[in-house]
Parts: sequence; C-alpha cells; structure tokens
Amino acid sequence: MHLMRSAMRLVMAMAVLATGQAVAQEVKVGGIFDLTGITSDVGKPYAQGVRDYVALTNSKGGVNGKKIKLIDVDYGYKIPEAVSAYKRMKEEQVVLINGWGTGDTLALKNFINEDKIPYFSGSFAGDLTDPAKTPYNFFVAPSYSDQIRAWLSWVKEDWKDKTRAPKVALFYGDNAYGKAPMAAGRAFAKENGIEISDEEILPPGFQDANSQLLNMKQKGADYAYINVTTTGVSLVLKGAKALGLTTKWGSNPYGFSEQLPLVAKETAEGVTGVMPHVPYGTAVPGMKALEDFHKANHPTDNHDAMYVRGWASATVWVEALKRADKAGKLNGEGVKAALETLKDFDLGGLTSPVTWTSTDHRPSTTTAVFMVKDGKLVKVKDYTFPRKAEWLGL
Amino acid sequence: MRCGDFRETYAEDMALFETAFARRMMFLFLAALLALPWFATGFWLDIALRILIAVIAAVGLNILTGFTGQISLGNAAFLAVGAYTTAILAGRYHVPFPIAIPAAGVVTALVGMVFGVPSLRLKGLYLAVATLAAHFVIEFGISHWESMTGGVNGISIPSPRAGPLVVANDKQLYYLALPVTASLLLFARNLFRTKVGKAFVAIRDQDISSEVMGVNVFRYKLLAFAVSSFYVGVAGSLLAYQARIISPENFPITVAIDQLGMIIIGGLGSILGSVFGAVFITLLPELLRLVTTALADSFPALTTLFASVKMGVFGLAIVLFLIFEPDGMAARWHTIKNYWKLYPFSY
Amino acid sequence: MEFFLQLVISGLVIGSIYALVGLGFVIIYKSSSILNFAQGEFLMLGAYVCVAIVGTHKVPFLAAFAITLAFSALLGVLMERLLLRPMIGEPVISVIMLTLGLSSVLKAVVQGFWGTDTRPFPEIFPTTPVMVGPLPVSQGYLYSVASVVVLLALFSVFFKYSRAGIAMRATAFSQQVALSMGISVKQIFALAWSIAAVVSAVGGVLLGGIRGGVDGAFALFGLKVIPVVILGGLDSVLGAIVGGLVMGVLENLSGGYLDPLMGGGVKEVAPFIALVAILSIKPYGLFGKVKIERV
Repeated sequence: MHLMRSAMRLVMAMAVLATGQAVAQEVKVGGIFDLTGITSDVGKPYAQGVRDYVALTNSKGGVNGKKIKLIDVDYGYKIPEAVSAYKRMKEEQVVLINGWGTGDTLALKNFINEDKIPYFSGSFAGDLTDPAKTPYNFFVAPSYSDQIRAWLSWVKEDWKDKTRAPKVALFYGDNAYGKAPMAAGRAFAKENGIEISDEEILPPGFQDANSQLLNMKQKGADYAYINVTTTGVSLVLKGAKALGLTTKWGSNPYGFSEQLPLVAKETAEGVTGVMPHVPYGTAVPGMKALEDFHKANHPTDNHDAMYVRGWASATVWVEALKRADKAGKLNGEGVKAALETLKDFDLGGLTSPVTWTSTDHRPSTTTAVFMVKDGKLVKVKDYTFPRKAEWLGL
Repeated sequence: MRCGDFRETYAEDMALFETAFARRMMFLFLAALLALPWFATGFWLDIALRILIAVIAAVGLNILTGFTGQISLGNAAFLAVGAYTTAILAGRYHVPFPIAIPAAGVVTALVGMVFGVPSLRLKGLYLAVATLAAHFVIEFGISHWESMTGGVNGISIPSPRAGPLVVANDKQLYYLALPVTASLLLFARNLFRTKVGKAFVAIRDQDISSEVMGVNVFRYKLLAFAVSSFYVGVAGSLLAYQARIISPENFPITVAIDQLGMIIIGGLGSILGSVFGAVFITLLPELLRLVTTALADSFPALTTLFASVKMGVFGLAIVLFLIFEPDGMAARWHTIKNYWKLYPFSY
Repeated sequence: MEFFLQLVISGLVIGSIYALVGLGFVIIYKSSSILNFAQGEFLMLGAYVCVAIVGTHKVPFLAAFAITLAFSALLGVLMERLLLRPMIGEPVISVIMLTLGLSSVLKAVVQGFWGTDTRPFPEIFPTTPVMVGPLPVSQGYLYSVASVVVLLALFSVFFKYSRAGIAMRATAFSQQVALSMGISVKQIFALAWSIAAVVSAVGGVLLGGIRGGVDGAFALFGLKVIPVVILGGLDSVLGAIVGGLVMGVLENLSGGYLDPLMGGGVKEVAPFIALVAILSIKPYGLFGKVKIERV
C-alpha cells in the first residue's frame, strides 16, 4: 500500500513536471490566414510560407530552445471570423499574431492595443505604420502607399509623350485593402503631374469587369493600376483584351507573382507589378534556406513570391521572439520592444532590410517594379522613397 | 408524476407551465444559467452570449415565419439594421444602452414594416423573394452610407454604458443579455395566448379564411413584421455590443439562412423550438471546430477543409431534419417527454 | 451613343447565361412549383465536373462535355428521388429550406474536393474577339447566345409536341388531373430536375469556357437569376429568356452609368431593386400565369 502510494506520488510529480516543462518550453503564436476566402489565391501560399519557417525554426531548436506553437485558423477573409479567432487566441495567451488582410487588421487594431499583442499583417496598409496610432501593428514590406508611389514613378519614366500628362486609371476592390493606398496614390500623382482620369470599383468576387472597362475606355487611360488579388487581376486583363484596350496595366503585389502569367496567360504580357519580395528562386543569399526546406519537405510543390512573403514575415518575428526571450521578456510588450530594436535587419535579399523605431513603423521604403516578359517576371527598377514625416501613417 | 392530460378549467389549459414540477425545473434551469459565467471560460461565455443573441433572433423569425406564415429571407439585413442603429447611437451620440437597445428594436421594427408592406399582395415564394431583395437593398445602403456607417471598413461600438454603469466585459454583458432574452421569450410565449397571437396563427393557416372571419389581415401581417423585426433588432443591438466592431460582412445572406435553419431544425411555430434550434445551430460549428483543432496536429489539411466541412454539415443537418423530423427538435422533445411521462407503462 | 450600345451588347451576352440558368429554374417550377435555390450550385458543379474529367483523365473536351451532361442528368434524378420526393405536401418554407440546405451541401462538396482556387478551364473557344457592330465580343458569348436560341426552340417544340413535354404541362396544370390521366407525376418530376440540371451544366461549361476558369463564385448565379425569373414569370420558358436578357442589360447599364456616381456596387443591387418594383406592379411577371386562389 505504502509502495503504491509513493509510486502514485512519483507519477503525479512527473506529470506535473512534464506538463510544467511543456508549457515553459513553448511559445504560442497565433496565425489568422485566409485559406478559403476571396483572397485565398494568395493567402494560401503566404500561410504556407509562415508555417514552413516556423517548422524550420522548430527543427533548429526553436526560440532559444523553446518550440513555437503556431495556432492557426482559416478566417475566410471575413472580419467577424477574424475577431472571434482573435478572441480565442487571446485566451490561449499567444505572444504574437501573424494575421492577413487590411480590413480585419484595422478592425482588430484597438483590441491589439488594449491587449498589447504584436500583430504582423499580410496587409501593408500605410495606416498601420504610425506607432502613435497603431503601436502594436507591424508588417514586413514597404507600405502599399510606397508601392503605388513606386509604380506611378515608373509610369512617369515610361511616359514618352511630353505634350500631355499621362492618364492613369485606378481599379480597386470594394474593401479596405482595395482602397488602402488610393489616397496616397492620388496625392502622389498630383504632385508628379500625372492625371488620375478614372477610378473603378470592383465588387468582391466579381466575375467580369466589362462595365468598368467600358467606362474607363470612355474616359481614356494610358495606364491603369489594379488593386485586387491575382484572380481578379487576371479577369480584368482578359476583359481588357476582349475589348481591345491598349492601356498599359500595372498591379499591386498581391495581384502580381509567378502565378499571374499562368492564370492570365498571354494577357499578362507586358504587365508591370510592384514586387516588395523577390520571386521564388531568385539568386539571392536568403533564398537558399527556402530551397533547402523545399527539397527536404515538399519537393513537388510550386512556390511563388507570396510564399517568400510569408516566410519573410515569420523570419522577422522569430528574430524578435529570440531577442525578447534573451532579454527575459517573452511577452507582448517585450516582443514589441525587441521589434523596435531591429535596424537594417537583413533578410538575405528576400525583401529590403527592415528597420523599426518606436516612432516609425515603416519597415523599409524600397520596392521593385517588375514586368512580365515572355511569361517570366523581369525586374525593371528599384524605387526608394525618403522617410517623409508627412507620409507616416498614410 | 402525471400520467395524462388532466385539465379541468380553461385557466389550466392556458397556463404557462403545465405543472408545478415544470415551473420548478424552469427556475432551476434559470439559476444554472445565472451561475454559468462563474464556471465558463471566455471561449464558452462568448458562445453562450452568441446563443442568447441567436435565440432572440430566432424567436423573432419564428413569430413571423413559424406563427404567421410569412417567409422572410431578410433577417440578416434586419439584424444589421439593429446593430447599426446601436452602433450609431452609442458610438456617435453616446446614447446609454437602456435607450439604445430598445431604440434599435423600434427602428428595426419600422424598417421591417416597410418591407412587410408587399406581404399584402405577395405570398409564399414571392414574399421570400421580396425579402431577399430587401436584404440586398439594405446591404447596399449600409455599405454605401459611409458617413454614417463607416462603409465596408465597419464601425466600432463602445462598451455599453448608462451613466456610471459600464458593461465592460463579456461576463457583464451576459448578465445584460440574459434578462433581456428571458423577458422577450416570456413575451413571445404570452403573445400567443392573446387575440393578436391567435390572429397571427389564423393568417398562417389560411389567410383568406381568416379575413372572412374578421381578422384584418394586412394590419396583423404588418404587426407580425413589426414584432418580429423588433426582436431581431434587439438581437442585432446585443450583437453589436458583443462584437464591438461591425461591418457589412457580419450580415451576409448566410446569416438569414442560418436563422431559417434554426427555426426549421427547432420547430416552426414553437418558441421552445426556436431556442433548441438556436442552440443547435450556434453550437454545431463550434463543436466541429473543437474536433478539427484537436485533429489538426495529425491532419493539417483539416484547417483548410474546416470551412467546407462546416458548410456541409449545416446543409446536411437541415436536409436530414426536413426529411426525418419535419416538425423539428421541439416535436422530438415532446415525444421524449411523453414517453417518460408514462414510463414504464406506455403502450 | 457608342458607349450605350457597347453596354447593351455586353449586357445581352451576359444575359444569355442568366437566361440559361433561368431556364432551369422555370422547368423545375413549372412542373413541381419548387423554386430551386441550388440552381447556381448545379451550374458550378457542372463546370467543375467537366474540368475534372478533362484535366485528370485527359478526355477530349467534347466527350467530357457529354459525360458532364449525363452526370448532371443523373444528379437531377437522384436529387428528386432522394430529397424532393419526401417533401411533397410540406409547406413552402420547408421546400425552400431544403434547396438552401442542398446548396450548402453541394458547395461544401465542391470546395472539399477541388478547393477554392480558380481552376483553369480548357480553351474551348478561340480567344480572339469577334466584332459585333462597334463592340468586340469574345466568341464564347456568341456560343452562349446561340445555345440559348437553340434551347428556346428545342423547349418550345418539346413542350408543344412531345409526349413528355405535354405530360409536364399537364402536371403543372394540375397534379391530380395528370395522375388520373395515367401520367406518372413522379417520373415527370424526375425528368424536370434532370433537365434543369443539364441546362445548368451547359451554362456552367459555357461560362467556364468564357471565363477561362471556374471557381466558387459560379454558385452566385443561382441568386442573381432570381430577379430574372421573377421578371419573366416563374412558369414561362420565354419569360426566363427575355428576363435574362433584360436583366443582363439592366445590370450593365446601371454599372456603366450609376456605378461611377454611387461609388460602385449598383450593378449588383440593381436587379434586386428592379425585382421589388416588378413584384409590386406585376407579381406574376411579364409572361407568368396569374394564379387564382380559392379557399
């Protein structure tokens, strides 16, 4: 009897120890991804990138010996779903969340600030870069606003007819993501002698853009920027071809990747796009880790720039988790502080180096414009903008 | 235990609770509900709140569809009207919640009456289609009246306030929602013991006959729309307070379909059924989620499949209920109760 | 003026797809008085099945198309046998809910099997547009207009001269009378559902060919077509076709003229506003039969 009791005590002690240790050895991170919603075409590879980098980190010992537990959900690009997923994650006491869309990230910003949980978004909305308003929001890329500025700068250089200003049309989705960079784009166009001749709104899940394209045709546009995801961009391009339009098309980074020529076929030819992250397989030092992981784990999969984007985002926050852990402050505030110590943090060329300070959450201001040539993405030029104070949070 | 129907007076026939035992059970159940926040984790409390909200909305819909026979696919839009009324009143004009919640109900009732006017001429399928149109028109209005509603980006709602009283968290909100739900349920139950309620039922069973019998069909149809929309508006108001940020995405057409599913599965024309249905339809995806999260470690593909599994199970539940238990859970409940009433001497 | 014409022409071609889906609605309603809210899912399923057959089994397109149609016919019969028959005599709301439940299940099946990505469709129409008056129109739309015309002719003949067609009309007129005349109402219902599923699948394949890909948004056509059939009258084949074309044009005109003023979204909601107007002026549509209710 006595033996039995002590044996039980031992088992219980071990169980307590084991669970106690398991808790101590784990860092919980939330993932709010779009795997089935209207942006799932680009949301899935992004989520895959984040998951793979977490798996790689865990296989190499995690965050200073602590394993990362990624609790991820599919929110279907629905704001209410994201809010309820966030509530569940808060209860799980995650130290950080890697989210996705603009609308949901903006919807969550007040919760995030209250709960002090650093939040990485797939959205690069300029609104999220001012720490005075959104101290816990981060993303790894130049903002959407800098991206549209880069593309407009390309338009200005590409426009040869000096007798009149180039006419640019803006196509965007009827959601926060679609509208995010438009104010910045309009202002930048005005300053640089570019005429915004037309703006067309694309409803969610639209199936054809005929009436929008006809409208644009009537108002005339030499160039047009499309701010929806790849599937939508390809619909617009195909519609434009069917109507015989000669407008030169450009796309935001979520509509432009290796996938675009595959989906839009020949209509993608000559289309320009903003690429804050390099295409998969580009010869940069940072790509080796991705390719090794790819060969070891899923050699038959195809990857694109969206995958690189998810990977890069996770790379940055894993680094911050490590720094926060070393400082002994592995909690929301600690991770935020660690993120704000990053200065020219090098991602091996996957995207431009990242710098955050407590007064400026613009990770970088350098972005590349690419063009589709013979079905391949070819870099046209890099554009860098000064960190103007008045552009913060725009 | 009783073993049969022994009603000797009309009062007994009309009583809310058939026996003292039933009344005692109800009080016990209420006590359990009151104690719930002290045991439930935040996750379950969140679900409990959503169930209360769903119950109010489902009862509202059942008053219109189950009791009065007017099919409505516009419930998501009416829910949105209630929620946005609250958001605008509380967010922009700092109206305290004891006014904002009933105001949301009243505004929704008015909107519901406007869209109920076609019910004078339209019946069955045609009315369903008209309310479907109402859904899209209201949705368009909300997402385009940006100065008021915040458009597609949504609108934030502050915590419910009344003077110094602040309902700061889900737990406190639960204690606000529970009495509201309980009193609305009691009202609905009593409604069908009155002349108005009987008129509703008469219209459902045969509108032309009831008109011949002296029921002012148009007036009562409008009244049904008003009462039903009031309920839905109150539900919307609570939903807004709980969500703290709402956008048109909170109210897609699938919400209306979910609510129709609740009253179909629960039982058309049954208050108890609305409650059962609301609980079932709200819990179903959450239980599925628990299962998929538990299995997600071994089957990562489940995270992606969850959305379709949820949709499929919902559809399947409705189809199976319609085929095998068209009278809903309420009917099944009565069957079970009657079985035990006579146990073990049932014939 | 050119702008106007362009909008009208591209509205007509989109409208022809609406007309196809509308036809399916009408055939089911005509025989069994059921408004099938899962019609859009039939369209989506048809397109997916066709893609799957072509893609995985390397079947030539025309053969795959034929298999798809056979599959759809079978699906229609199965739906009627398994789901709709138990619903005879149930209230309207139950039947509506059944088709709504069915639409969830079908959507879930498609999403579960094929995911949510846009799946590329085999190129069945040449991509070079054809000039119709001032407007270049993609050839796929011309095929869809042509198939609408063919189907209209086919169904007119079918309902007028064939035994099955006449039996369907009789069933629509009165099920009891039809039964006493020796018509198997059950068989008529099954026939109606399989015809509806086949017509929708044709629409789905055409649409897939025009879009060059198929995704879950195809199911939305089921809702979009409701204003079409209400305008035309729920029990009129001609009405579905006229309604489809009118709604296509209305959508495009409101998209062209009102969207820029209102900030988008008018194109989507205009048919529903029209629907409310139709219901309050002419509840049984342009060509629908007015029902007289007796106690």
